[in-house]
Amino acid sequence: MMKLLDISKKYGEITHKYPFEPYKVADNFRGKPAYIFDLCIGCAACGIACPSNAITVQFNNDQSKLIWEFDCGRCIFCGRCDEVCPTGAIKLSEEFELAVKFDKSALIQRGELDTQYCTTCNKPFSAKRLVKYSFECLSKANVSEKRLEEAKEYLCMCPTCKKTATVATFTSGKEMVIE
Amino acid sequence: MKTYEIPQEIQDANTLEQKLDLLKNIGRSFSVFRIDCGSCNGCEIEIFAAITPLWDPERFGFKLVANPRHADILLCTGPVTRQMYYPLLRAYEATPDPKIVVALGACGVTGGIFYDAYSVLSGIDKIIPVDAYIPGCPPHPASIIYGLTTALGVMEQKLQKVSFEHDGDMPPLVEDSVLGNTLFERDLLVHAKRLMSYVFGRKLFDKYISALVKSGNTKDAKATKISITEAMQIEDDPRYAECMGILHNEIYTHYVMCEEEDKIDLHRVIWGAK
Repeated sequence: MMKLLDISKKYGEITHKYPFEPYKVADNFRGKPAYIFDLCIGCAACGIACPSNAITVQFNNDQSKLIWEFDCGRCIFCGRCDEVCPTGAIKLSEEFELAVKFDKSALIQRGELDTQYCTTCNKPFSAKRLVKYSFECLSKANVSEKRLEEAKEYLCMCPTCKKTATVATFTSGKEMVIE
Repeated sequence: MKTYEIPQEIQDANTLEQKLDLLKNIGRSFSVFRIDCGSCNGCEIEIFAAITPLWDPERFGFKLVANPRHADILLCTGPVTRQMYYPLLRAYEATPDPKIVVALGACGVTGGIFYDAYSVLSGIDKIIPVDAYIPGCPPHPASIIYGLTTALGVMEQKLQKVSFEHDGDMPPLVEDSVLGNTLFERDLLVHAKRLMSYVFGRKLFDKYISALVKSGNTKDAKATKISITEAMQIEDDPRYAECMGILHNEIYTHYVMCEEEDKIDLHRVIWGAK
């Protein structure tokens, strides 16, 4: 018995004082994904990568907004969304204090983005920010002015209209020359 | 789908006032009964990590018991498989009133990754009323301690629903390229992620770009070779050093005219690893 007391004296108290003192998690700990709305472009890469569909990207009922929604209750903290996000809008934080009482909707994070309508058929197909981001990327990627003008037109078209427009330019003999 | 009608006498004995009254005037330890409703055992491992002396929840009076008849708190894990549906109900009805139900882990809260599987009911709250939710896959022992103390009212809930409804202007997201062509940065980042995964790949990308900028003229293959080799020599981690060399040889040489001698020799003796 006395030997046991000696051993415990030697090693001291190891219990974490956690709720009364902050606890520092280990390096590269995967906590709650932190969402920065200003950086989100609504590309839905995170929604496709998410294995448990905790992130969903959908149009709302009247298709005026693209809604990005994250349910922390279903998240399995794999970090795929962090891996695929092109702008760093979603990054795993070190937050681990996630418990909620009674109301599960406190676990939800959502953002509403403006919808881009197709210039030809007026159908909603993407977020305005995504179109803007794509153009910004292209304008810094060393492409010629003429190509950039064409891209400006094509970026605001839905995939179906883009296909028809491309076929129309090719068949009417106005093929673009790649410089 | 409504699966289980809670009997009226259980509902009457489990109002919020009665639960708060129990928590306030308990006068003894809280007995926790753990139900595994088809969980993968990850949550169980974390629960047992949380009851070790390292975390010691008996500071707050939590004690695991082996019988639901002795329990005040039910700690439910797992997405509720069909086989565990009736055992869960039996444990729920056997617990003395008022009972506090805590759903633990992503599966317990919403069904987690199994939420649309055919054999699960996805979530404890689809069957019985839940008082506290602890998400995590599995939750860290500190999260479990936090969740249980939140359920008791010792600590405050930190998360609230966040909703951004106004689509404002976004800041310029694309930085200017060091070579005047953002495709270089794109290829570099993709290859860095392929070599060292996304967390360390981004660090590698930053290290490589800063070494490249340090050379003065980024389009001069001779100057950049000297600058990257220097960065490799002062790098403590040999994995970063070698991957910086690979990036230089495989990506940089595509974008800037290079001769064979401008490539970095990756033999460790030649570039002088520590």
